[in-house]
Amino acid sequence: MSLDARLRLAFGGMHPDRTRRLLDQFGGAEAVVARLDGGALRVSDRIRAAVQVPAADRRRELDDLRHAVWFRGEPGYPESLAMFPDAPDVLFTRGELPIGGRVAVVGSRRCTAYGRRLAGEYGAAIGISGWVVVSGLARGVDGAAHEGTLRVGAQGIAVLGCGLDVDYPREHGRLASALVDAGGLIVSEYPPGTPPEGWRFPPRNRIISGLSVAVVVVEASVKGGALITAGTAMLQGIPVFVTPGDVTREVSKGCNLLIRDGAHPVLDAADLIAELELVLGPVQPARSNANERDVSPVLDALMEHGSCGVDELSQRVALAVPALLAELARLEADGLVEGDGITYTACTTAQLPGR
Amino acid sequence: MFAAMTSVALVGVRPRQVRVEAHVTKAQEAFHIVGLPDTAVREARQRVLAAFAASQYRLTGRRIVVNLSPADLPKGGTTYDLPIALAVIAASGVESIPSVVALGELALDGKVRPVRGGLGAALVAREVAQICVLPAESAGEAQASGHDIAAAATLTEAINVAKGLDGGAPIIPAVGPSTPATELAEVRGQLTARRALEVAAAGGHHLLMSGPPGSGKTMLAKCLPGILPELEHDARFEVAMAWAAAGRPRPVGAPPPFRAPHHSATMAALIGGGSGVPVPGEVTLAHNGVLFLDELGEFPAHLLDAMRQPLEHGSVTVARKGASVEFPASFQLVAATNPCPCGYSGDRLVSCRCGPRGVDKYRRRLSGPLIDRFDLQVRVSRLDSTELAGPPGESSDRVRARVIAARDRQMRRGHLNRMLSRSDLDGVEWVSKARQLLERAVANQALTARGWDRVRRVAMTIADLDDAEVVSEAHAAEALMYRGSV
Repeated sequence: MSLDARLRLAFGGMHPDRTRRLLDQFGGAEAVVARLDGGALRVSDRIRAAVQVPAADRRRELDDLRHAVWFRGEPGYPESLAMFPDAPDVLFTRGELPIGGRVAVVGSRRCTAYGRRLAGEYGAAIGISGWVVVSGLARGVDGAAHEGTLRVGAQGIAVLGCGLDVDYPREHGRLASALVDAGGLIVSEYPPGTPPEGWRFPPRNRIISGLSVAVVVVEASVKGGALITAGTAMLQGIPVFVTPGDVTREVSKGCNLLIRDGAHPVLDAADLIAELELVLGPVQPARSNANERDVSPVLDALMEHGSCGVDELSQRVALAVPALLAELARLEADGLVEGDGITYTACTTAQLPGR
Repeated sequence: MFAAMTSVALVGVRPRQVRVEAHVTKAQEAFHIVGLPDTAVREARQRVLAAFAASQYRLTGRRIVVNLSPADLPKGGTTYDLPIALAVIAASGVESIPSVVALGELALDGKVRPVRGGLGAALVAREVAQICVLPAESAGEAQASGHDIAAAATLTEAINVAKGLDGGAPIIPAVGPSTPATELAEVRGQLTARRALEVAAAGGHHLLMSGPPGSGKTMLAKCLPGILPELEHDARFEVAMAWAAAGRPRPVGAPPPFRAPHHSATMAALIGGGSGVPVPGEVTLAHNGVLFLDELGEFPAHLLDAMRQPLEHGSVTVARKGASVEFPASFQLVAATNPCPCGYSGDRLVSCRCGPRGVDKYRRRLSGPLIDRFDLQVRVSRLDSTELAGPPGESSDRVRARVIAARDRQMRRGHLNRMLSRSDLDGVEWVSKARQLLERAVANQALTARGWDRVRRVAMTIADLDDAEVVSEAHAAEALMYRGSV
């Protein structure tokens, strides 16, 4: 039962590089597990105890948590990821793998409002185009990208650096459930209950890029996880798109460095989608529910004039204030407009072909 | 030998009857006051005797005992000088005075001075069907009772009116603090805030405005009483009682009260209290009206905490040694705040000096249970010169007409939408698209669970303003605009 051995080994929760070295060295999970059971390998007691639990118990545990398991090379495991030599042997998943081209959106946890906004916009734009956003559920850019996807009712994938049942960062626990509820997926190579330890995060970046056909970096410092993802993407031969930023700002330096090194600069959401179409094929124009909305004079006015205050807008579209406010709220809920209660702006995603 | 008068003590804003009994005998000269009198009441002996002398009454060689009953009620102040004097004169047989309700301080020259509680005395007088004798200055507020008041300027006059002879006319108090509400037409632009004000007025919702200095938050708040319906008889009466208890006469037909305490106010000034007999605070003066808290973020946390009881129960309890009293405090809360310490976060023209950390910290100070009380939360921006020169907006009168119609609809259902509980809201029929819109807002994390109830309450009011039976998608969408930041 090779799968059982692989599952038991995955529950050990070792560093991915170590797991892979052991597998290469002894030629398979059964041999590794046998040596662990026999005490021939030096590992911590915690890992040894975790590996000793029978596979059947582990499967019950996963069933209780509603988690599924993917084994590399078996049906269900995405082939695009399996082909990379450092792909994880086992992946724990919750939810379903969404259909559609997968695009990673990554960036700094300490992003600026500019980064948050762009990440949300790109997340929404990719979702609107019928593609799937892959990211890391971290604070900052990752979270904003996932939120953007959810806002337009699209599916996304979050790759975690801890167990799937661990809410990290705590405030993103709801976001993870929302992703799953919306028909998306959360995935991790670490077993349930694994705490978020710093060394676990860099390896998961290879899964983010490996799952994706393109990587978009929104804001990244020179020493950040996002740059690791961009690096693994380049090694994996996956195109990298980058948002240019302020040359003096720390969280833009990584991005600007990537541009200097040949990554593709992205100008706005529409530009990004046009570039992605070259990789993923043309977007199917207008999904069925998009036609339901009649043309909105408010949206037209905002597209024409850029940002606009409510007072000014009410003059331009000749609409009574209650009706105008209601229309703005609807557009905001649809992710077409954003505002702070005073001024409103049409999102660039409003002009996308998939809309 | 023996005589009794009726007087009142205020417990909270409610008057309680106090019987003032006097027993006068020919014996060694003495003057005792019994029945839980405080120092000021005990000193009444000197004032009463001096007033007797000034009014040509000689009561030498007598033993006077005055009893104030019930004894367990704390009685303070100079309120009982006049009834004590009347009771003693009646008991000594110098004049024959029937039992009356009386209240007033006596000056040493026999004049009668105003005291708090005139309205309460009039109410008691109506209840026990007796003549009500009050100082002329206290008689004005008592007119709200509808009972005939006999006003007296001196002790002699008081004795005459108590005997049924004509007295002086009540002195109507000068209209003090009731400045008229600001006219809404004077507000330029600010269409969102204007509309939010209208919705707040229609549903009685608490309103929070956030915006930079000089954006007109205070002016907007001052417009609110002008678009509220006039108080009905009972409500007006409650206001008169509350103000009378605070010793502040208030003209009868005035618009709903508007109170704007400063953030440096003390707990006693805001909630009520003070030494001795508790006096109502600003929350009670704002009863059935508007309480405006400018610079909400500057109010100390313990004051904001203390606001929770009135907001929840419509009353405040002030506990004192021996007695705790309840004051009515059902008001509509309007608050204004800067978005950050410097005030310019999110401003179109001036850049903010606080940085995201500073803004966050400032917002957190306001968060918590109090912020959830504001059904409507809007941002107000500063106007540029073209907007300031714009055409005047709609007048208060026109907006008030819509508010009154919307309130009528609510009163047919039972109460204002502000009072709607979660279970009330769950029972309301919504068109499915409206419900879907709100569910989507929750899914997008644009709306929290607490915000969900607030938005539903506001949507009901918007539907009422629209004279609609059910809440439509447009009503729900507009309500979402007032949800504030999450």
